Amino acid sequence: MAVGKISLNSRLKVMLTLALVACGVIAVRLIDIQILRHDDYLEMAERNRTQVIYQNAPRGRVFTADGIAVASNAPSFSLYYLGGTKDISYLTRLARDFAPHLHVPEETLLSKLQTGASTGRALLLADNLSTKSTVALQELQFYYPGIYLVEETKRNYPYGIFASHLLGYLGSMDERDWRKRDVKLGYLLSSKLGKNGIEKKFEKELKGKDGGVYLEVDYRGRVKSIIEDKKWAAGSDVYLTLNFAVQRAAEEGLRNSKTGRGAAVALDPRTGAVLALASAPAFDPNIFVPYSDEAQENPSKKINEYNLAIQGVYPPASTFKIITGAAALESGMIDVNRKVTCTGKYDSGPRIFKCWGKHGPVDFFDGMSNSCDVYFYTIAAQIGSAAIERVQRMFMIGRQTGIDLPGEKAGNLYGPTRRARNKTYWFIGDTLNLSIGQGELLVTPIKLAQLGAAVASRGNVYRPYYVEKIVSNQTGKTQTVGQPEILQRAELKPETYDLLFKALKHTVDNGTARRVKINGLDVYGKTGTAQNPHGEDHGWFMAFAARPGEVPSIAVAVFVEFGEGGSSAAGPIARMMLEAYFADTLREAAAARKRARKQALQGGENHDA
Amino acid sequence: MMPSFKQLSASRSRMDYLLFGAMAALVLLGACCIMSAVNSISWSNPVVRTHLVALPVGALAFFIGWSFNYQIFGEQWKYMYGFILLLLVGVLLFGSYQRGSRSWFVFPFFSMQPSEICRVCLILVAAAFLNLRGRRSRDISSLFSLGLLLAPVFGLIMMQPDFSSVVVTLPALMVLLYCAGVNVFYLSMIALLVFVSGFFTISWTYIYLHPELLDYAWVRVFHGLAHNAWYIAGFAVSVILLGYVLWWFFRYLRVFLPSFYFVLASLVVLMGLGGGIFVEHQMKPHQRKRVEAFLAPKSDPRGAGYNVLQAQIAMGAGGMTGKGLFSGTQSRLGFVPERHTDFILAVVGEELGLLGTLVVLGLYLIVLWRIVAIAYTSSDRYGYLVCAGIFGMFFTYMLVNYGMLIGIVPVAGIPLPFISYGGSNLVASLWALGVVQSVHARRLRA
Repeated sequence: MAVGKISLNSRLKVMLTLALVACGVIAVRLIDIQILRHDDYLEMAERNRTQVIYQNAPRGRVFTADGIAVASNAPSFSLYYLGGTKDISYLTRLARDFAPHLHVPEETLLSKLQTGASTGRALLLADNLSTKSTVALQELQFYYPGIYLVEETKRNYPYGIFASHLLGYLGSMDERDWRKRDVKLGYLLSSKLGKNGIEKKFEKELKGKDGGVYLEVDYRGRVKSIIEDKKWAAGSDVYLTLNFAVQRAAEEGLRNSKTGRGAAVALDPRTGAVLALASAPAFDPNIFVPYSDEAQENPSKKINEYNLAIQGVYPPASTFKIITGAAALESGMIDVNRKVTCTGKYDSGPRIFKCWGKHGPVDFFDGMSNSCDVYFYTIAAQIGSAAIERVQRMFMIGRQTGIDLPGEKAGNLYGPTRRARNKTYWFIGDTLNLSIGQGELLVTPIKLAQLGAAVASRGNVYRPYYVEKIVSNQTGKTQTVGQPEILQRAELKPETYDLLFKALKHTVDNGTARRVKINGLDVYGKTGTAQNPHGEDHGWFMAFAARPGEVPSIAVAVFVEFGEGGSSAAGPIARMMLEAYFADTLREAAAARKRARKQALQGGENHDA
Repeated sequence: MMPSFKQLSASRSRMDYLLFGAMAALVLLGACCIMSAVNSISWSNPVVRTHLVALPVGALAFFIGWSFNYQIFGEQWKYMYGFILLLLVGVLLFGSYQRGSRSWFVFPFFSMQPSEICRVCLILVAAAFLNLRGRRSRDISSLFSLGLLLAPVFGLIMMQPDFSSVVVTLPALMVLLYCAGVNVFYLSMIALLVFVSGFFTISWTYIYLHPELLDYAWVRVFHGLAHNAWYIAGFAVSVILLGYVLWWFFRYLRVFLPSFYFVLASLVVLMGLGGGIFVEHQMKPHQRKRVEAFLAPKSDPRGAGYNVLQAQIAMGAGGMTGKGLFSGTQSRLGFVPERHTDFILAVVGEELGLLGTLVVLGLYLIVLWRIVAIAYTSSDRYGYLVCAGIFGMFFTYMLVNYGMLIGIVPVAGIPLPFISYGGSNLVASLWALGVVQSVHARRLRA
């Protein structure tokens, strides 16, 4: 027995060893699961038990330079039913009371509630509710436990179409967006994101961090408790260089213009900052972010995204006479006081060119102020087309202004060198056409504004910029975006600029640009009427202005498509913009005048007495 | 003179305090975890109430097992055998039908699962039988006669059906047979039988899950073995031929093995095939799901593999020290299925962390070690065999429970004694350790 038992005992020992080995293996695997993969599993457990009702964070606001929020956020609410009772009479009452505020039929709401109650899950009853209905809902939720009103925010553009081409608009996530922006960046399927303009360009900065109500749910998705109510973090604010009043004036002017189609651009000649950039027709970006309980416009309808200010190219017409004039002055070949007699036509030899009127004998200043074609034909023939092309290049005609906007057109430079490169001939007729800004010459409204600003600043061709800075709402940190950048200097003789200023001032004071003559300001301007073989002529207006004794601080270019006369169609808009820009100065000047008159009157009375 | 610890514990004491301590710690830990798993410490919770009632009953069973001379079971094994059959027939006749099986006696104030008690009794009976066979335990005749003896019991259990009870009892009996000195070749033949039938079952299930594999001709032939009589016959002939060739080969090498071995091995392979075919045709959908879940737990996270995955998430989320009792979200919110019974270890892992699971593992190891130590000092062969059987039983429980959680064993629906909820299992397990203590109390005096 004993002998047998020893061997048998050893078998039991084998089993115990086996148990030890098994425990070792198990322990290793337990360490693997519980220590090495702890983080993964903990995350999975957390995901298991939490359901999040996300709350959109407010997007960063967009301000104009004078501090007016032109893109902001409005409160919006979502209504959830977190379950609780399955009592049918309770649900029926609930449906009856809530349905009118949610604009859904009572039966639909009731059946939705019943499925929600039976599964016990959090149920979204309505989202994107406006404050209008939520006042009533907020009161109602006290009577119906289980109803939860979640506050969210929604993009809102308080001034509707204001600068809509610059601001852009929001849209839903599509497949392409998903590839670029995923959940890790805080995007959800229901997120809205910038689809155009500033909204798109500064999507990263504008986007805030979503908040959410974190619910604890059990394995069947039934809500057990509310874990936490995490507040959102708003996105960063974008500050534009736009001047609210000028932009507003430009938009209103364009809307009320003869055709309602056109563009107006205002630049600060000292920096290149965009003070206004308007294109008509415009659109209201609010239609892309509607409330669910309001009448909705169909956002799929075609909106006018075409930004005429940077994408429309037209012949600059008579506004180009500034360049022809500058070339003539620079050449030193003309005497500004020598008079040319305008008989209404100019004989170039092969062809007779017409003027738009009969101006009689005109010197340089009258030629400019009356926009006399014959005068410019004459001096162009004298100085030659190459000189004009050279000045064109100085002011970067035919090149993009370099504004940070997609789709900008470059326009077209017109001159003998360009012709030579295309291996075709240049005729005298081309020179004459060029001199009055017709022919193959093409510019965008913003290009003309840049030209005006360059003349106003005596040669600085700035790159236009419209975003000043981005200010974080979390840290308060400011990030400068746009800065003055001189692309090129148009180096002309100082006398050339002096005479040009004089001629343009003369145009405003006594000539075709009389419409922008404003008391108390030094205004310089030039009109243009682009001949359009397909319909009515296009109206141009270019102007810059300064407070007396200061350097010019605004340059505007206004274009009205099919507006016929530059003076009649575009002039008033330019004037409105200038008046808006100098409103303070003008008010002070008017007050001063009034005071002076009053004083003079009183003085007179006193004298009488 | 100071008596040494060894003298105190081994020569004087009538109880192995280390075993008792480990057992008590497991029971205590179990009670806490059950309350946490059902998220209640209230008497009104039926689970808590039943467990708190089962605890004193289990304590009583432990003391009965300890105070009774275990040799009575050895002498009166025939009556015990009769008692087992009576219980199992009784449950088939009068038992209540719950969740697809008839395995419960329901009395006015409590209910019990007779197969739990039967499992311990069966080990005592098998030990007694092998004790009687003495040195003849080595022979194959013991195997066969024991098989014949136990076949009716297993048959009755399968009629309930209580598949998991068989899963635990068979390995325990294997350990018992091994320790009784049964020829390792015969045991390996049994293992081969289980392996072959298991291999066929799992392979066929795998093919069933991946029908595209049937594009391969050899897979089609293999799959045909389950259904086509000609294939089966061909397989049988080739196995027999292979056995013959091997026999001839070993003779050629002048390695003389009993030719009987080759016959047996061939037979066993064929029996394994038969078993596999039987299981393949008998397997119920939910059982097939379990095999599926074991083969590919991630393929269907909401399906059968979901349970294991959720249990692993719970354990992993626990980390080193756990989230604390009553704080595990996975168990409290119902993600871990059967959390107070089969998957109680997941609750331990989530709420007490790695520390908890390792402590439970360590306590089990102490229990196993003490059982082996007691077997060494038993005064007779029967005591030794009883300890071996009970060792096998707890070893299997531990292995299957932990294995299930760490994904090396299919989900079998087996509780973890002392920790899981289940009155019958607790009482039976405590009684079994009582019997072990009885062996200790009546050990050889040094």
